[in-house]
Amino acid sequence: MVERRFPRAVGSLDAIFAFIGDFVDARGLDPELKYDVGLAAEELFTNLVKYGRGEQRDIRMALDAEPDRLVLVIQDFDADPFDVTQAEPPSFDAPPSERRPGGLGIHLVKQITDELRYEYANRTSTITVIKRLKA
Amino acid sequence: MFDILLTDDGVVKLSGRLDAAEADRARRVLGTLDRPTTVDFSDLDYISSAGLSALIETYKRLHQAGHAFRLVRLKPRIRNVFTYAGLDRLLDIE
Repeated sequence: MVERRFPRAVGSLDAIFAFIGDFVDARGLDPELKYDVGLAAEELFTNLVKYGRGEQRDIRMALDAEPDRLVLVIQDFDADPFDVTQAEPPSFDAPPSERRPGGLGIHLVKQITDELRYEYANRTSTITVIKRLKA
Repeated sequence: MFDILLTDDGVVKLSGRLDAAEADRARRVLGTLDRPTTVDFSDLDYISSAGLSALIETYKRLHQAGHAFRLVRLKPRIRNVFTYAGLDRLLDIE
C-alpha cells in the first residue's frame, strides 16, 4: 500500500493524478485504470473540498493492489459526516446554486467503480473505492 | 495540461485533461459562444463532472438561443463518461 496527503484544494489534482499514475505504472496494471481511478479520486476529493465546512487538514489517499482489485481509500479528518453512498442522483435542470452535494460526480463514481463504501468514526470520514481488475 | 481553442469556423477544440481545476477556464471561453458550435474532442484525454457541467451549461444557453451544439470525435473513454452521466440522451454526440 502507498499513501500520501494532499492539501485541500483543486490545485492538488495534478499531484493526485500523478500519484495514481505512478502506482498503476509501478505495478504494471492496465493503463486505463489511471482514468477510471483518477476520475473517482477527483470526484470524491473535490466533493470534500467543496462541501467541507471549514476543515483545514490535508486529505489522505491510499492505494493498494490486490490480485483481483485495486483499492482507493480517501480519509478526511476532523470532518462532519457526509455519506457519499447516499448522494442523490444528478438533476441537470437545477442551477448550480441549488444542486445538492455529490450529484453528478458521485453518480459517475458509482458507475465507473465496482464498490463504494463510507464509514464515519472519531470525526473521520473514510471513503473506500474498489475497482475490480480484469483477469 | 488542458487547452481550449476557438476557430473562426465555429469549432471549439479541446485538448488534454478537463478537470475541476480547469473547468472555470473552459467555462469562460465557452461563455463567449453565440452561434452554432461544434466541439472537437479528438485531443481530449480526460473529463470529469466539472467539465461536463461546463458543457451542459453551454448546451442549455445555445439551445435556448436556437443554436446547435454538437460534440464530435470523442475517444471511447470520454464517450463512456457522457454515457454514464446520461448525457448521451441530452446532447448531440457523433
